[in-house]
Amino acid sequence: MLAYYFRIALKSLRRNPMLTALMIGSIAVGVGVCITTLTVYRLMSGNPVAHRNDVLYAVTLDSWDPNSPWRDEHPERPPPELTYRDAETLYRSDIPDRKVMMRKAAFVVEAPPKSGVAPFLVEGRTTTKDFFAMFDVPFQYGAGWDQAADDTSQMVVVLSKKTNDKAFGGANSVGQTVRLDGHDFKVVGVLGEWAPTPKFYDMNNGQFDEIEELYVPYGIGTQFEMQSAGNTNCWRDQQINNFQDFLNSDCVWIQFWVELRDSSKRAAFQDFIDNFVREQKSLGRYERPLNNHLQQPDEWLKVNEAVQDDNRVLVGLSFMFLAVCLLNMIGLLLAKFLGAAPLVGLRRALGASKSAIFRQHLVEVGVIGLGGGLLGIALAALGLFGVRHVYENYNELTRLDFTMVLAAIGIAVLSGLLAGFYPTWRVCRVQPAAHLKTQ
Amino acid sequence: MELRPILSAMLRNKTGAILVGLQIALTLAVVANAVFIIMQRVEKIGRPPGIDSDNLFFVQSYGFGPNYDHRDTIRRDLDLIRSLPGVVSASSINGIPLSGGGSATNLGASAVREKQTINTNYYTVDEHGIESLGVKLLEGRNFTEQEVQYNPDASGPQTTPFVIITKDTARALFGDEPAIGKTIWGGADQTSVVVGIMDNMLGAWVGWDKLTQVMLMPRIQAGPLARYVVRAEPGRRDALMAEVEQKLSGSNPHRAINYVRSHTQIKERSYRADSRMVAFLSVLIGLMISVTALGIVGLASFHVNVRRKQIGTRRAVGARRVDIIRYFMVENWLLTTGGIVAGSVLAFAFGQWLSSAYSLPRLPPSYVVGGVIVLWVLGQLAAFLPARRAAAIPPAVATRTV
Repeated sequence: MLAYYFRIALKSLRRNPMLTALMIGSIAVGVGVCITTLTVYRLMSGNPVAHRNDVLYAVTLDSWDPNSPWRDEHPERPPPELTYRDAETLYRSDIPDRKVMMRKAAFVVEAPPKSGVAPFLVEGRTTTKDFFAMFDVPFQYGAGWDQAADDTSQMVVVLSKKTNDKAFGGANSVGQTVRLDGHDFKVVGVLGEWAPTPKFYDMNNGQFDEIEELYVPYGIGTQFEMQSAGNTNCWRDQQINNFQDFLNSDCVWIQFWVELRDSSKRAAFQDFIDNFVREQKSLGRYERPLNNHLQQPDEWLKVNEAVQDDNRVLVGLSFMFLAVCLLNMIGLLLAKFLGAAPLVGLRRALGASKSAIFRQHLVEVGVIGLGGGLLGIALAALGLFGVRHVYENYNELTRLDFTMVLAAIGIAVLSGLLAGFYPTWRVCRVQPAAHLKTQ
Repeated sequence: MELRPILSAMLRNKTGAILVGLQIALTLAVVANAVFIIMQRVEKIGRPPGIDSDNLFFVQSYGFGPNYDHRDTIRRDLDLIRSLPGVVSASSINGIPLSGGGSATNLGASAVREKQTINTNYYTVDEHGIESLGVKLLEGRNFTEQEVQYNPDASGPQTTPFVIITKDTARALFGDEPAIGKTIWGGADQTSVVVGIMDNMLGAWVGWDKLTQVMLMPRIQAGPLARYVVRAEPGRRDALMAEVEQKLSGSNPHRAINYVRSHTQIKERSYRADSRMVAFLSVLIGLMISVTALGIVGLASFHVNVRRKQIGTRRAVGARRVDIIRYFMVENWLLTTGGIVAGSVLAFAFGQWLSSAYSLPRLPPSYVVGGVIVLWVLGQLAAFLPARRAAAIPPAVATRTV
């Protein structure tokens, strides 16, 4: 029976090819636009460390200006980074299971002379050792460094895949040396493909930037007196005449994360940072009200507004557009079904039941929805192709994945059926007698 | 005019009319707000930068190793760049306007600085800075070569004895009083004298509401990083960029040339989020208007087909072609107008919600009026084709059965 309905549906759709094309096209553009904006939205609202969400916490302390908050429009938010001094103190706590303090720094890389690659500048990160384990960073070769390397600021380096490809042609470079800023560093590890989007671990320096191109122990940055390659925010009038003055200043520029595996540890660490700030208050620092946070990645991403308002507005507008497309389709379907009322009347008179008419028209609507969905996927692919031209950095990520393809078909068929339900219901109420008279 | 029969025909198919009306209403609400957002972004992108943006490019070099001499490198690089034909001027600079990255400091008009400071985006340049950026000096004087100090330690912002500030910075600090010769306070015990006022130029962060608060300081910052701004004669920028990159790369083994980038490219990158929004919304508006217009054409054509016999009858009893056309046009006009009335309300409600939820400016009525006119015209155009087809139906149809 379904095959028969399907044949009738196709026949009916072929009878008004213009109208059919309009209806399928209508659903298709609506779905295409929605899937395009949803894909971008999903990308931006993703949580790249969702699997570690329960144990990771970003640490923030409100060390900012007593006269004005970090963000005027959100006075409840502390700055997203710590001062150098405070980070050093917190890092000494042994409450967390793991902890990391880190910041950005630029390095000139000199590849081995025989490679013939000219020296090039890269963005690097100086970090303590737990960075790799805490954030579940994949390695292609080797691994991170150990506590001893942190303690004595050993000249060891982990390269990103991109840097290793450039300097060593992608070969296993573990054990080799690279010259960074004129010093020999030993390669201990090479990362695999890793593109956390948004770049959750450092939200104040380009939320959708690529990862750093190499990683060295945190102490190296201090030892070489390297300036931050990320944002440095200061508020207090302080004489800064040399690097040591800068380290002692109230400028914030260090990112700090902890891993706390149970709630008692979480409470203990919250107490620890609160007590630390109270102690600092008595020394004349931290003049703002006590406002220290331990935030899990999903909350952290939300607070830092990884999903820009623009994208939310776009998704909203896209769905309004889909609504217009559906209204369009309901109007056309209604006109078409009611236009064919005499035929329905005839079929009813010949013995077709109401429910048979209903199912038959629903099949027709389903075919339109399915066609619209398939075409919509093609349009979404086209839309994302366009998106890749106006976004940079995450080309690979703005592709249709399986979930979005399913979502496209789902939205199309569901909205098709939703749109088709009323016209179908109307056509079922057709009185056979009314349409047979004029025949 | 035969409004009554048209209305009663529409009332017989209420649902159809409501559907078209709703569609037009939603279209109006979305289009009016989307166009408004687009116009804001276009305005933002189109702000005059205050510098000779089209002819500027920036060079970044990064020194390394024990044999790197920063001060000497900058001197030799600038000598080389300035000697190239086609270069108008070149200067050392610490940041790039409209690039999204830069330095800012708090300035006050008096020593008592609590709460009276303004945030200012500053650039350290040499005596060629004003000419190299192409910003106009309005009052006072430029820096002299002797005033340009080499800063041995790059950490932290410190003021210089003399500064040049933009018109807006001067107004923010001193109101309408003349600013030349006045002292400004930046940081503890650090004062500078204003020697020049320049026309407004845009600072580093495109989203900043104080974008024209900019200050120039005569200084060359130490450190591994060197940046230059180069102003080319019109039309020679691209050729010069290649030449500069090639000549500098070969000139010094103790540094890497990080990039040579035109200001056009840098600016475009900073405005990318805005141009993206413009692109997205334009496509959306285009699609929305097409879908609505095609929907009207489709529906009207369908109605014409269904009413062939009725139209034929009307023609047979004396209606002229123009009467038939008018019938369909008026019918469409009524539908569109109904939709527009609902749409105007919806547009303002939607605009209100957008402005409160995303702190955008309120939707001005002119955008809704514009949208209303566009939809009226669009509706009439969309109805005209089917109406003309309807008018072509011969009266003889009336005499045929089916």
